[in-house]
Amino acid sequence: MNLRESTGIALTAIRANKLRSFLTLLGTIIGVASVIAVISFVEGLNRFVADKLIDAGSNVFVVDKYGFITSNEAWEQAQKRPDITPEDADALRAGVQHAKMVVAHSSTVERIHYRAKHVDGVNVRGDGPGYEVIADYTIAEGRHLGELDDQHRQLACVLGPEVADDLFPGADPIGKQIRIGEQTYRVVGVTKAKGKMLGQSQDRFAVIPIRTFQKYKAERGSIEINIKTLDQAALPVAIQEARNILRGRRHIAPGKPDNFGITTADTWLEFYRTLTGGIFVVMIGVASIALVVGGIVIMNIMLVSVTERTREIGVRKALGARRRDILTQFLVEATTLSLAGGLIGILLGVGLALIVGAISPLPAGVNGFAIVLGIAMSSLVGIFFGSYPAFLAAKLDPIEALRYE
Amino acid sequence: MLIAIRDLHRIYQVGTEEVHALNGVDLDIATNEYVAIMGPSGSGKSTLMNLLGCLDTPTSGSYRLKDHEIGSMSDDELARIRNQEIGFVFQTFNLLARADAIHNVELPLVYAGVKHEERRKRAREALELVGLGDRMKHKPNELSGGQRQRVAIARALVNRPSIILADEPTGNLDTTTGEEIMSAFERIWQQGNTVIVVTHEPDIAQHANRVVRMRDGKIESDTVNERRAARTGHA
Repeated sequence: MNLRESTGIALTAIRANKLRSFLTLLGTIIGVASVIAVISFVEGLNRFVADKLIDAGSNVFVVDKYGFITSNEAWEQAQKRPDITPEDADALRAGVQHAKMVVAHSSTVERIHYRAKHVDGVNVRGDGPGYEVIADYTIAEGRHLGELDDQHRQLACVLGPEVADDLFPGADPIGKQIRIGEQTYRVVGVTKAKGKMLGQSQDRFAVIPIRTFQKYKAERGSIEINIKTLDQAALPVAIQEARNILRGRRHIAPGKPDNFGITTADTWLEFYRTLTGGIFVVMIGVASIALVVGGIVIMNIMLVSVTERTREIGVRKALGARRRDILTQFLVEATTLSLAGGLIGILLGVGLALIVGAISPLPAGVNGFAIVLGIAMSSLVGIFFGSYPAFLAAKLDPIEALRYE
Repeated sequence: MLIAIRDLHRIYQVGTEEVHALNGVDLDIATNEYVAIMGPSGSGKSTLMNLLGCLDTPTSGSYRLKDHEIGSMSDDELARIRNQEIGFVFQTFNLLARADAIHNVELPLVYAGVKHEERRKRAREALELVGLGDRMKHKPNELSGGQRQRVAIARALVNRPSIILADEPTGNLDTTTGEEIMSAFERIWQQGNTVIVVTHEPDIAQHANRVVRMRDGKIESDTVNERRAARTGHA
C-alpha cells in the first residue's frame, strides 16, 4: 500500500471526525504558531538592530553618568555620581587624541509655540558642535548650529522637518521666532526628512546649543558625550584615553571603579543578544510544551481511533494487510493530523507576525526557515506520538480484532 | 490437492488451563469442491475456519494450501496468503462503513499492490457479478443486508482467491435473503471456485455437496450430500 492510499484513508478519517480532529490539533496549532511568531519577531528585530548598529557606526562610544545599567540597585548607586558637564566634553575634546569628534548631547521633550500654534511632544535636543555627524542630520534650509552658537549660549535652533511643517505650513521657517519653554529661539535651519524608525518619527525634534540647553533646562543636569574615533581600531585606545581624562578630572584613586559610564555599540549588541536569546529560549520552551501536550493529545486520540477501529483493522488484516500496512496507515493518519495542525499554526503565526508588524512599531519578518521548521516540527510530533498507537494497531491479532465488538 | 490437513492440533492457553480446540484433524479438499463445515459451538469449527483462513497457525500438525506449509509462516507471509488465496465472507459483513461499495471491494487489491485503474475495473466486474453494478457508489448504510453481503462476496472474489471461506454468511439475514446469498455461492461454485461454508444451520449446509461435521475438536463425519449430489450432478 502506498503513501497516497494511506493519506486518502487518513483524510477520510479526519473528515469523519471534524470537530474532534480540530480539538485534537489545538496544541499543535498553538505550538507551531508561537514558534513561527517568535522566530518572525526575533528575525525582524535582528534585522532592525543590525541596521541600527551599522547606522550608529561601530566607531562611536558614549560617555554618560550611568553607563549600561540593568538593575535597580545599580541605578540608585549611579544616581549619586557627579553629573557629566559640557566642561567634561571640552576636556575630552582637548585630550582624547584618537577622537575625530566629541559631541555633547542632552534632551527633553517639550511643547513648541509659534504665535498661536504649537506642536506637542517635540524632542528638544541640546547638542554640541558636530552633532549633525553623530545624529546624521543633513541641512535642507539655512545652516547647522556651530561652535559660536554654543560658546555664546545663543537662542538659536535647527528644526526637524515635521516640526517646521507643522508650525510654518507653506512659509519659510528661517528667521522665525519660536518659543520653547520660557525662551524665544530663532530658527536658523531645517533638516531633511529621515522618516520613521520603529514607528517613531525621526523628524520631530528641535536642536539648540548644549550650553543654551544647560543654562535654561537645568533639570537635565547630566549630559552624555558622543565620541567618534578616527576609525574602529582606535576605539579601545580612545576609550582608555577618555577614561583616564575623566578619572583625572574626578580624582579617582587607582583601583577604585569609574563613577561614569562608557557604552559602545558592542555593549548594546551584547545586551540585545542576551535579551533575544532569553526571549527565544522562553518561547521555544513554551512552544515545546504546547507541542508535547499537542502530541500527547494526538496520541490519545489515535489510541481512541485504534480502539474504535479494531474491527476495521481486523478486516484489513483478513484481506491481506501486513503489519507494516497498518502501521503506515495509522502513522500517516497521525502525521496528517499533526501536519494539518502545523499548517494552520503556520498560517496563524505568520498572520500574527504580519498583524503585529503592521499595527505596532515592532518589525516582523517572515522567513522560510520558520515555515520549514513548523512543518518539520509538526510532522515529527505526528510521527513520534503516532508511533505507539500505530504499533498497537499493527500488532493486533486478526482473530481478536475481527471478534471485537 | 488444494488443501491437505494432517493431524492438526490447536491448543489455547486459557489461564493455567490448556484448551484443545483442535485435536488431530485430517482433511483434504480439492479444487472446486463445495464444503460445509458444521458443528455445535465449542466443536472446534471456528478454530478450523481460522486455520483454513490463515488467520491462525496450528500448534502442531500440517496444513498445506497449494503446497505452502502454513504452519511455518510469519505474520506477513500469512497476510500475503490471505490476500492471494482466501476470500472471506463474514456473518456481520465487515464492510468499511466510511467507504462506498466499490472501495470496499477494491481493498484486497490495494493490499495486493494492484494499480488504481486496474483495481477499479476488477472491482466493478466483481460487483456486476453479484448484481450490484448499479450500487457501486453506495455506502454500506445505504444498502440492505443482502446487498451488503453481496458486496462482501464481491470483495471475497475480486482477487481471484483459491478458496471462498464463508463464516455463517446468512446468520444476520432473513430466510429469503439468506436463500439469495446461498444461490450466489452456488453460482460462484459453478464458475469453478472452491467454496467452504462454516455454519451450524443444516438448511445452509444442504447447499454444499460435502458436509464435514465437527465435535470436540475432531471430525465426526465427512459425508457427500447425496440429495444435492443427485440434483446437481456434482460430487
